[in-house]
Amino acid sequence: MKLSAGSIALVLCAVILSGCAQFESKRGVEVNWQSAVTGKLVNGQSTRRDVLAMLGPPSQVIALDGESALYYLFEHSEGDGLVLILYNRMRIDTRYDRAIFFFDENDVLTEFATRLYPADEG
Amino acid sequence: MRASGVKALGILLGCWLLSACSQWHYDLGVPLEHGTVPAEGSRLTEALEALGPPLRMSATDNGFVLAWEHWHIRENSVGFRLGALGADFMSADWGEMRIKGEFLLLTFDEHHLLTSVTRSKWDNYGGGGKAIQPFFGFVSVVDVDDLTEMMPQHRWGSSLFQRLPGTLNANSNLDTGQSGLQQRGSPKAAGQQALEMD
Repeated sequence: MKLSAGSIALVLCAVILSGCAQFESKRGVEVNWQSAVTGKLVNGQSTRRDVLAMLGPPSQVIALDGESALYYLFEHSEGDGLVLILYNRMRIDTRYDRAIFFFDENDVLTEFATRLYPADEG
Repeated sequence: MRASGVKALGILLGCWLLSACSQWHYDLGVPLEHGTVPAEGSRLTEALEALGPPLRMSATDNGFVLAWEHWHIRENSVGFRLGALGADFMSADWGEMRIKGEFLLLTFDEHHLLTSVTRSKWDNYGGGGKAIQPFFGFVSVVDVDDLTEMMPQHRWGSSLFQRLPGTLNANSNLDTGQSGLQQRGSPKAAGQQALEMD
């Protein structure tokens, strides 16, 4: 089959003008709240000093009436895209690894919870 | 030039002009699990076990509020412009946005007991527009920036060091975790942030 110059140019341009993209964005504090780490914390015994020593400075400190809370957040976005001639598609997924710790007026841990997505477990 | 060549060139030109057709999908967080919302009167520990750490939190006068959210935003736009040909004097765009999501707000008293549960779920047309813009493109027909912005916790420290109009309103700043919270996309022209300046 013999292709015309126009057809060849069309195919060539279709290849040149198409593409794909992949990107990643990470924001927030270092993720140190793996279960192996937080497993050492005990409600009613551990203190704010213990948590800060294990996890470092938090994203946010919230003062409650006499109590306090430390909030840790790590925001992880991943995106990929298809760039075609007539159609471009981008998809961005954002996940939030987070941990929250509540302390009483004596800085003793009362409650805490953590969430870590498998991709950030390492 | 032969007819087939002219036709191919025409198709190429058309494709080039149409290169602005795009679709964006944003998925922020994960869907909330149904049936896991604790009943009023439950303790904070039960809520945290069922739902994990909240995405937003703020102190209140007699306790605190915790919020969980999930957003899925779909932006579709179709347009053509001549900029690719070096003649940026005309563009035509059409766009629309759909917003799907859910928000769960739990209020706790000073004894860490759940006093109220509020949940909302939506799947709405989020706006859109059409534009023909000669010479300069001033208008974006779909704007999702306020819905896809980063969480306020990242701005916690800097929110206390703003320029004067913002600093004067620091007690009402929603990024500090002390003055309430707001959902994505809340207008800033009214309410607590009305005194602030960007």
